[in-house]
Amino acid sequence: MDDRFVEGIAEAMEIGHEEVTPDLELTRDNWNSLAIVSTIALVDELYDVMLSGPALGRCATLGDVMALIEKAKGNK
Amino acid sequence: MTNAAFSGICATSRDVSLAGVVCAVPSQVVTNEYFEKEFSKSDIADIVKMIGVKERRWVNPGQTTSDLCLLAARTLISDLGWSAQDIGLLVLVTQTPDYALPASACVLHGLLGLGTNCAAFDVNLGCSGYVYGLWMVSQLMQAHSARRALLLVGDTSFYNDTTDRSTALLFGDAGTATALEMQEGAGEWHFVVGTDGHGARNLIVPKSGTRQEIPRDERMGNRDLSKLFMDGGEIFNFTLSAVPPLGHALFEYSHASIESFDAFLFHQANTFMLKHLARKLKLPVDRVPMNMERFGNTSSASIPLLMCDKLGERLRLEDMRLAMFGFGVGYSWATPMRVVRIVEL
Repeated sequence: MDDRFVEGIAEAMEIGHEEVTPDLELTRDNWNSLAIVSTIALVDELYDVMLSGPALGRCATLGDVMALIEKAKGNK
Repeated sequence: MTNAAFSGICATSRDVSLAGVVCAVPSQVVTNEYFEKEFSKSDIADIVKMIGVKERRWVNPGQTTSDLCLLAARTLISDLGWSAQDIGLLVLVTQTPDYALPASACVLHGLLGLGTNCAAFDVNLGCSGYVYGLWMVSQLMQAHSARRALLLVGDTSFYNDTTDRSTALLFGDAGTATALEMQEGAGEWHFVVGTDGHGARNLIVPKSGTRQEIPRDERMGNRDLSKLFMDGGEIFNFTLSAVPPLGHALFEYSHASIESFDAFLFHQANTFMLKHLARKLKLPVDRVPMNMERFGNTSSASIPLLMCDKLGERLRLEDMRLAMFGFGVGYSWATPMRVVRIVEL
């Protein structure tokens, strides 16, 4: 995983860098609207692609978020 | 949301100068502690981390946007030494007018004692309103509609639902007055103005006009439809996809490099979003002033309030080249203004 992505996600979700893995479960507690909007901004900045808030809200794990990013990159 | 490439109308105004700006803010300061009766401290901390507002001004009961704009306009006319009879155009940009009719601009026309040879009307716009107002008024002026004009811009948080965490802490109240006059050789103002009507339902007060049958929308839930609804995520996405291309279009249209601007004035929407937009547009951070911390999001009033609050002295003394982003985008080259100040009501 891209270091800048790991760092951004850790900051957005207020967790340690070591916790940022594809298996990370996104729960109501750690995946709130603040974390989702921060992730939209992070991904826009790093990869210049826009993710939708509702689609991010439906993600169950960080791996799902990464799949969304790859799909969005493919649609550019 | 739309990710379609965003483009706008390009327009140039010539020989119009900004003579002054006065902002009127309510004397009532509301700090974040006020909201602890409704939200937990941790919820408030999360919201504040995003929006960056520590305090805002709210009108006292009975005060309206037009009261704030009236004070700002009276102060400005008096400070400039203008005669009320010389003002040929009065435009009020607000989404919180006093009445459905008549236009509040006409009420203010009477209270300011302007002459009958003066056009006056309201324009219903929010965050893009100041730049739209400068575009519209300057275009009318260069078509010889008026030699002197007043642009009044402001809003109160009248429709704000103080129990809705997505908007409760965000908004503040302000009313502003900007004086424009024809002046040969004043230089050119460049504008890029756009609209995306698909987003209409993402920031709306559903029951506030004559439409009584409100289209079904699951996001509304059991909300009070007479209060403001905001889908923050959609607004965020719209802004991120719309503002950077409009910014680039503006720099290109005005044949100006980023380095040539003294300040980039964004509508003060949300501190997190502004920082992101500034990074995305590769703007120098020290030239992107922000004042959401003290005043919140004051809708269309936020750019003139930023001018008075953060640039006041410089705007009086220097030639400043300003870019303004009201999320319908504009830019101006401003010669020194005679009056730039904040007053309290």
